[in-house]
Amino acid sequence: MTWLIWRQHRTEVCALGLLVGLFGAALLALGTQAHELFPGGPARCAGEAGISDACTASFRRLDEGYGYVENLLAAFYLVPVVIGAFLGAPLLARELEDGTWQLAWTQAVPRMRWLAAKLAALAGVTVVLTGVFTAVLTWFRQPFDAWEGRFQYDAFDLEGLVPVAYALFAFGLATAAGAILRRGLPAFGVAFGAFLAARMSVALLARPAYATPLTAMEPVPAGGSQAQAGRRPVTGFADWTIEHGYADATGRRLTSAEFAELEAAADRAGTNLNQFLHARGIQQFGVYHPADRFWTFQLIEAAVFVAVAAILIAVVVLRVRRRMI
Amino acid sequence: MTAAGFALRTDGVGKRYRKGWALRDCTLALPAGGVIALVGPNGAGKTTLLRLIVGLLAPSTGTVEVLGHDVTASTPQTLSRIGFLAQDHPLYKRFTVAEMLRFGRACNLRFDQELAEHRLARLGIPLDRRAGTLSGGQQAQVALALALAKRPDLLVLDEPVASLDPLARHEFLQVLMGAVAEGGVTVLFSSHVVHELERVCDHLVVLNRGRVTLTGDIDTLLAEHRLLVGPRTATDLDRAGTVVEAVHSDRHTTLLVRDGALPAAPGWQARPVALEDLVLAYLRRPPGPGAAVAPGVKA
Repeated sequence: MTWLIWRQHRTEVCALGLLVGLFGAALLALGTQAHELFPGGPARCAGEAGISDACTASFRRLDEGYGYVENLLAAFYLVPVVIGAFLGAPLLARELEDGTWQLAWTQAVPRMRWLAAKLAALAGVTVVLTGVFTAVLTWFRQPFDAWEGRFQYDAFDLEGLVPVAYALFAFGLATAAGAILRRGLPAFGVAFGAFLAARMSVALLARPAYATPLTAMEPVPAGGSQAQAGRRPVTGFADWTIEHGYADATGRRLTSAEFAELEAAADRAGTNLNQFLHARGIQQFGVYHPADRFWTFQLIEAAVFVAVAAILIAVVVLRVRRRMI
Repeated sequence: MTAAGFALRTDGVGKRYRKGWALRDCTLALPAGGVIALVGPNGAGKTTLLRLIVGLLAPSTGTVEVLGHDVTASTPQTLSRIGFLAQDHPLYKRFTVAEMLRFGRACNLRFDQELAEHRLARLGIPLDRRAGTLSGGQQAQVALALALAKRPDLLVLDEPVASLDPLARHEFLQVLMGAVAEGGVTVLFSSHVVHELERVCDHLVVLNRGRVTLTGDIDTLLAEHRLLVGPRTATDLDRAGTVVEAVHSDRHTTLLVRDGALPAAPGWQARPVALEDLVLAYLRRPPGPGAAVAPGVKA
């Protein structure tokens, strides 16, 4: 079976390996240079310590030299789905498309053993490739994480455990779609679409609700320029702020219309907005998840996607077991 | 005949797809040894029945027993005793022929690599060619060599020659019959072509609209049936035996009868029936429950 699986899937495995290798090597090369900007390691510049002159300079040079790479990283959201769906879609669909399932399942290897071997091998490759890539990417992002924290979408979704879970989810989706649609390319397309839909809805709707967010509220400081107003200083740089705004002295949140009125009033009075707000006891608030919830959230999200992947694989196993294909 | 004497037994087998029943009430007992033809028009349920027999599908009703074992168990031992050649003889198109043989070796308990290589060499099929670049006839031969290298006790072929040109068809049947002559293998193959069967087959199963309408040893079937030709008449047909089919022309009536006595009435003649005419007569019979109790069905 090992030889057969390798022979049948070596093209995908090699292509994906090459992809991961090339991007990984590029990230390693660029990341080494970026890390060199931080003599003591990027972690030393994280948070409050980042106020030191040396760190500020390092961050500025990081932004100038490698900021563009960080923007490109957004494309790597797709790495897990590409790996998972490329390996999952042909698993059954290609056999069904070419009629070779009738060849494969009438040899002396019972179909359940055949399926178990294929699923284990290809899911294993999915995990290894995504894991290696994620490890490199997580390391590459260390300087950026020191600057911006790890809870933003361009960090949380690319680091730690979740990319591997996403890839397994994509693998399960593509395998199940292949079993049902019986065609490789449509299975890949369906898996791709469903993956994006699931990922976006989980990230936007479910993820903020993994734990009860904290609320920080403090009066608007009198000093500071107008530009600083509304820059949510109430939460830490690495926290995940999911909502922020203003509230009156009693803590009642202001609508944007009410805040616009206040702004207009401050304008008419000709006073600095912050002083104006401070004088009226207006507070600013932030609803957020503290940075130390990162791993809890990673575990929850990874568990969600792995669980769905397991359900999808179970559907495939059931269909093959019941000889529905 | 003892249980071991049957290559295949099905009992009340039916298969239902979402669209409806593809096969109903199929009860068969086919002897080991020799060649069995499964005949029926397109869409009669031949592929469904063959897939049920090799365990690719699970029956909705009934049981399938191959070589004395329940085929749905799909143990390696049972699987290794059955060879299957699916319609259009699928192969892994990007494998070389040698890799196809390696596939067979890797996935079987017993696999006679030498036998397969020998067969392919005799046919002049190079081992280093990709399967997808071979001609249809050659692909069929590779698939057959793979199936035969398992040294199966039952070899099942689904429309093996349907897609082949006459020359390739001839060569394919020659190799297949050569393997049968070497002994030890029961061959069951489906076809929608009736002629040539007599030359090749020992046993016949006729399938029409998901039901078995005729099954039996070919020589026995031919001996049991005869054509009675006489002056045109529409009455007293039963007198001649079990009438399978009555055809009237302007002046004559032709009856296909089973277990019929010789014609008593003057002007009637008895003639032997050709296998093709026999099969066609059964295929023309009206479908529905009546067909299931037609003569010849061992229900």
